[in-house]
Amino acid sequence: MGFLAPWFLAGIAAVGLPVWLHLLRRHRTTPQPFSSLMFFEPRTQSSIKHRRLRYLLLFALRTALVVLLALAFANPFRRTTAADSSKRKLVIAAIDQSFSMRQGDRLERAKRDAAQLLSTLRPDDRGQVLAFDSQVHAMSEPTDDRAVLQAAAAAVEPTDARGSYAELARALRALAQGARMPIEVHLYSDMQKSSLPPSFTDLRLPESVRLIAHPVMTQRVANFTIENVNVPYRVYSGRKIRLQATIAGYGTEAATRRVALMLNGREVELKSAEVPAGGRAAVEFLSLEAPYGLSRGEVRIEPADAFPADDRFLFSVDRQDPRRALFVYQARSPRALLYFRTALDSSLEPAFAIDPVTPEQTAGIDPGKYAFVVLSDVGSLPQSFENSLQRYVRGGGSLLLALGRDSAARSRVPVFDEGIVDARYFGREQERFQTAAWLDSAHPAIGSDNRWGDVKFYQAVRVEPGKSRIAARLSDNTPLLLEKRLGEGRVLVFASTFDNVSNDFPLHASFVPFIDQIAHYLGRLESRAANQTVGSYLELREAQRTGTAVEVLDPKGRRALSLEEAARAENLVLASAGYYDVRRANGQHDLVAVNTDRHESDLELIPAETLALWQNTVRSSTAPDGGEAPQPKPVSFWWYVMLAVLVTAIAETLVGNRHMHVDKEAA
Amino acid sequence: MLQRFLDPATLASISSLDLVAKTVVDGFVAGLHRSPDFGFSQEFAEYRAYTQGDDLRHVDWNVFARTERCYLKRYRGETNSQLLVLLDTSASMGFRSHEISKLDYARFLCASLCYLAHTQRDAAGLIIFDEDVKNYIAPSTRQGQLFRLLHAIEAAETGTRTDFASPFVHFQNFQRRRGIVVVVSDYYEEPELILKCVEPLRFRGNEVILFHVLDPAEIAPAFREPVLLVDMESNSALEVSPDYAHTEYRHKIDAHIQALRDKTRGAGMDYFLMNTSRPLDEGLREYLTIRQGRM
Repeated sequence: MGFLAPWFLAGIAAVGLPVWLHLLRRHRTTPQPFSSLMFFEPRTQSSIKHRRLRYLLLFALRTALVVLLALAFANPFRRTTAADSSKRKLVIAAIDQSFSMRQGDRLERAKRDAAQLLSTLRPDDRGQVLAFDSQVHAMSEPTDDRAVLQAAAAAVEPTDARGSYAELARALRALAQGARMPIEVHLYSDMQKSSLPPSFTDLRLPESVRLIAHPVMTQRVANFTIENVNVPYRVYSGRKIRLQATIAGYGTEAATRRVALMLNGREVELKSAEVPAGGRAAVEFLSLEAPYGLSRGEVRIEPADAFPADDRFLFSVDRQDPRRALFVYQARSPRALLYFRTALDSSLEPAFAIDPVTPEQTAGIDPGKYAFVVLSDVGSLPQSFENSLQRYVRGGGSLLLALGRDSAARSRVPVFDEGIVDARYFGREQERFQTAAWLDSAHPAIGSDNRWGDVKFYQAVRVEPGKSRIAARLSDNTPLLLEKRLGEGRVLVFASTFDNVSNDFPLHASFVPFIDQIAHYLGRLESRAANQTVGSYLELREAQRTGTAVEVLDPKGRRALSLEEAARAENLVLASAGYYDVRRANGQHDLVAVNTDRHESDLELIPAETLALWQNTVRSSTAPDGGEAPQPKPVSFWWYVMLAVLVTAIAETLVGNRHMHVDKEAA
Repeated sequence: MLQRFLDPATLASISSLDLVAKTVVDGFVAGLHRSPDFGFSQEFAEYRAYTQGDDLRHVDWNVFARTERCYLKRYRGETNSQLLVLLDTSASMGFRSHEISKLDYARFLCASLCYLAHTQRDAAGLIIFDEDVKNYIAPSTRQGQLFRLLHAIEAAETGTRTDFASPFVHFQNFQRRRGIVVVVSDYYEEPELILKCVEPLRFRGNEVILFHVLDPAEIAPAFREPVLLVDMESNSALEVSPDYAHTEYRHKIDAHIQALRDKTRGAGMDYFLMNTSRPLDEGLREYLTIRQGRM
């Protein structure tokens, strides 16, 4: 028992004030003449005694108030050990359920050890079971029901997600804020080093949390895994696919591993790889021939090692014929068609084939058959085709307009429906030209490959932007690339041409990627990897297109979305390894291969000193068994004293009010 | 001196009231206020049919000659009475909790009543007493009577203790005519004893009115702390707590006032409590209003 600020005890001298008020000042009674004492009786003395008793009570309360206030300022405390203060505590069994716990019987051992701990809880203690991978799942609420806790521990199942001790620490910090008792966390994990966060501060624990680690593994297990497979997802040509796989060894000796390439459950090719000690080796398969449609591929290491779950790597391939695109151009200027087609065919996987037509030939064409339509400096169009284009765009189609001399003859841009201000010629002979001064790299048609600085624009058609999005501007602020959403579709306007007359863009290296990107954007072929990692998000729809149902089957063949989610969800968390079958509302069918995070394949353990450092982030935690005795820490009574001050002040007010009631009448 | 007693506002407020008193037979204020009883004076009131037993002297024979019916001619009665004011000047009447003591207030009251009687040509008298009769001015309508009364009231000082028996016996010895007897006191005595002393006056046909003059501090004393009270008449002392003064004393004084009111009114007398914190004209107006309402 002591005081943190003992000099405030001098305030007790203020007790003299109530002493003077009650005991000294009270006895000064002056005789007062009164007309008659006929109605006063001798027994009134007893009433005075009662009054005196009440005054004494008031005196005692006021004295106690002064003393308690002085005590509160002096801040009394009592030294106590952590053991004393943690008589009743919350015992949390945190069980690692990350992918690496599938190795051997790690998870079973962790669950068995946790169950043993929970069966030996003290009667005062409460328990809770947490399971964690990249997220923390509460398997039970804090309870003292041993059966519930045992069942919760037994219900922990391994997942394919990556472990994260930082996420566990964050959850423990949140729990400690709400818990009114000390928390003792028993961590059952394989203590995988790769689960540690980059910053150690993410592991910090509050003072009320004591961490006790129970490693289920004490030695590192050597492990081979396929770290990555590089293969295109969409294939349009009939040629063979090139596939590259990376074999990694974690804590392994130099060894030769056989690597098998499987496609749709059939072994296609088998190769061997020399993997150096703890290193990586690349294996290349050049003769993969995928059939039309979606194919399930897999690269596998043989023979299996101590952790066979990561010896296979999944991928998917979608082989299609190139999609058709309609290119409308003036017969007298075929250079635009030449440059555009050449640029499209120059990409690694040409996804589109051009169908060139002149405006006169468009009368009977249905644009709905095409992935997108390009109007290259077209002056006039048959009205029926223009109407068809409008319906096509509003129904989800895409249109690209390149504006040149012939387009400028019209007052409005067809379909885009914005006015043409003028056609601007910058004069080639005087070497006057404009450059692309500003590019929106966030636009998918431009992207990060936006080296347009050397491109000279000699002619541009100034279009009123209206409500359209401007993706590029010339140096005189003329909009160069504009986009407008009409219904479900997209209309892009390029305010120049592709014919090397109005500009020299087709002669620059940036032209091919621009045409490739804008074609993919118009054809809605967003680039996607052939495989994803567990925990990543799959985009299901554009935000504005809610209402159209998306069907997703998870690797076990079950529907991953409820009916409401299928109509509204924009993203899906890929929680399991395997193939996700995705059917979008527009009929697009995707096969998403999902693999576990390869950080889980590195089974290196956390060094003992690192683990001890983590446990010591809790200042109040006691040392492990055999450590030094816990130091007593001061526990302040301040709150209790202030509570007593409050109670005394209320009592003093009540008693004083009864006294003052008479005084007020006298006044 | 006159100005001190005869506050014009006070007198104006009293004169404006239409006094119809119960005791008009003897005329509380003759002339201004009519008696409800019919008498046989000079002022004609009405005719009434003759009934058997009526005095034939009051038959209007002229009417009989014209109508051959007997009618009695009736006149309003006008009587003069005498007012006797008994003023208690015991030591307890000197108590005050503000600028006017009970005795001062009683002086104003007595002077007002005497002046009223004087203006009505009524005989007014005065007895000043404590435990004995200190001064006696016989009722009279003589010239200078008002000044004698007012002088005696002005000269009244607080004396010793109160004794109702002696002054009332004295008064009964000197009284020869029926009239109005006004007793102004703080009545620190048992109601039974007061009644025993006052009641004989009523038996003699007097209209007895008791004015109970009390200071507000006597009705509702409020002390901040225990006080040592000294009796102004007996000089005995007693320590009193605020709590007792706040509760039990108030019950006792209220019971005393109520008992006095009940017993006096039960005996056919009038009782009025005069709080010295209230203006004098308000107290008198209330008294006159009540008396008017009773008619």
